[in-house]
Amino acid sequence: MKEKIKLALAQISSKRENKKENLQKIEEFTIKAKEQDADLVIFPELSLTGYVLHDQIYELAEIIPGPSTKKIEELAKKTGTHIIFGMPELSEKTKATIFNTAVFVGPTGFIGKFRKMYLPTHSVFEEKRYFRPGYQTAAFNTALGKIGLFICYDIFFPEVCRLTRLKGAELMVCISASPAVRRSYFEILTAARALENTAFLAYVNLAGVEDGLQFWGGSRLVSPTGNLLAKAKYDEEDLVICEVDYRDMRPVETFIPTLRDLRPELFDELKKQSEIL
Amino acid sequence: MKLTPSVLELDLEEVEKRIRRFIREYVENAAADGIVLGMSGGIDSGTIAALSSLSIGGPRVTGLMLPEKETYASKDIDDAKVVAEKFGLKTQVCDITPVLEGFYKTIPIFDQADKLCKGNIKARTRMIYLYYYANKLNKIVCGSSDKSETMMGYFTKWGDVAADISPIMDLYKIQVRKLAEHIGIPHELATKPSTPALWPNQLAETELGIKYETLDLILYGLERFMTTEEIAQQLSVKKPIVEKVKSRWLSVEHKRRLPLTPKLEYRTVGTDFRLPRHTY
Repeated sequence: MKEKIKLALAQISSKRENKKENLQKIEEFTIKAKEQDADLVIFPELSLTGYVLHDQIYELAEIIPGPSTKKIEELAKKTGTHIIFGMPELSEKTKATIFNTAVFVGPTGFIGKFRKMYLPTHSVFEEKRYFRPGYQTAAFNTALGKIGLFICYDIFFPEVCRLTRLKGAELMVCISASPAVRRSYFEILTAARALENTAFLAYVNLAGVEDGLQFWGGSRLVSPTGNLLAKAKYDEEDLVICEVDYRDMRPVETFIPTLRDLRPELFDELKKQSEIL
Repeated sequence: MKLTPSVLELDLEEVEKRIRRFIREYVENAAADGIVLGMSGGIDSGTIAALSSLSIGGPRVTGLMLPEKETYASKDIDDAKVVAEKFGLKTQVCDITPVLEGFYKTIPIFDQADKLCKGNIKARTRMIYLYYYANKLNKIVCGSSDKSETMMGYFTKWGDVAADISPIMDLYKIQVRKLAEHIGIPHELATKPSTPALWPNQLAETELGIKYETLDLILYGLERFMTTEEIAQQLSVKKPIVEKVKSRWLSVEHKRRLPLTPKLEYRTVGTDFRLPRHTY
């Protein structure tokens, strides 16, 4: 396993309902990232299709692996990079049951996927109308280290990140489609989740405007102490190359030993209390 | 939450940036050649004219002044011209009086004394002019309705509210005034009393029966699910005043939506037929 890896925060603006154009953009950004020696290129939530899809999502969702993931697998093989991106996933067993999924592929093919666990259905969001939630956190052993995935609103629930970390993830990747009015929440939570889990956290948000929703970009890599290591522009498309040095985790874990100090009995109590809220 | 004027404060730089981006991207995605907007000489339309010009450049913005005999005020025309000159947009004046007189003469049940019905003809006639220019010039119509008047239903259905985009509809009047000054609208215009100009000497605050300073805070509280008791207590206003505002806000939802249709089929327009709004 590499001690140091290079990430590319590929903050794109997706064209809604236009997979062809978005696949092309994913390819362009991946090639540019590879030219700068990136090992892992990360694209935002639902970057394959755009975020505001409403009923059209039934026409856009695909099984995984499916035609679009195959194309991105080929791109990963061709460029020798790892790629994470978001798409609506159609369940293999049904005709119209959809998940909001993060897909992880590498030079050797499909690595894994994560289905968004917390689906915002308030304010401008209507995800529960269209998506079934995921039930599993995800951390994958890869040539680039143990990498965990989660999506956007999941970050508001520390247990998702905690479980990902407890499964061994040292780099946690959060892909997102966050509109501008919520920027300050994510800026706080990305730092908090990295710090409380003493792990790296890469956050990649959409840019662009969809149906009046303005995605704020601001993608970032946060250190295990919650410091900002790299940051993309607000609002606009951007490609930021940054570095994760796993050796930085050891001194942090000794200085802020949150994992050593975990109290498992509290989780039983947490479960009990959350059931009777 | 404490309802004080400070809750209406905004990061004006950020708001300006977001609105400009919104306008620019919409016009680009629509492949339109620019924007058409009505210029009444008031604060909302002046702010929209300025924001449109700042977003896509004054030469691509057409400001229409649509005066008519009954409510004509040269001061309004002058105020609109000040904004147009400062922000470099093109203007055109169309006197709509003959068209209005045509309506008055040809509607068999026309009632000269019913100033609301008559005034609504004016607002809807202005809409027709704006859309003619937009169709002819391949532009979009930019509306200037704000959140205070939209929540109160203080507009003409299919009239002044009709537009392709409404960039300041999420800002209360007090916030629009602050934004106006921030982007360079002269103070005198930014604080000018609002009027829909449906009949002579009509003033919004007089007609609504409340000052925007109070109305906007009541609406802000309602927006955040506060009870009428809490709002009345915090603002030291009588509860019936807050209840009246709430009741008006709720009763005019029909003006803010597509026409209601009975649910008869699988997916129904305006209710559960949910499609992305494309501009291209």
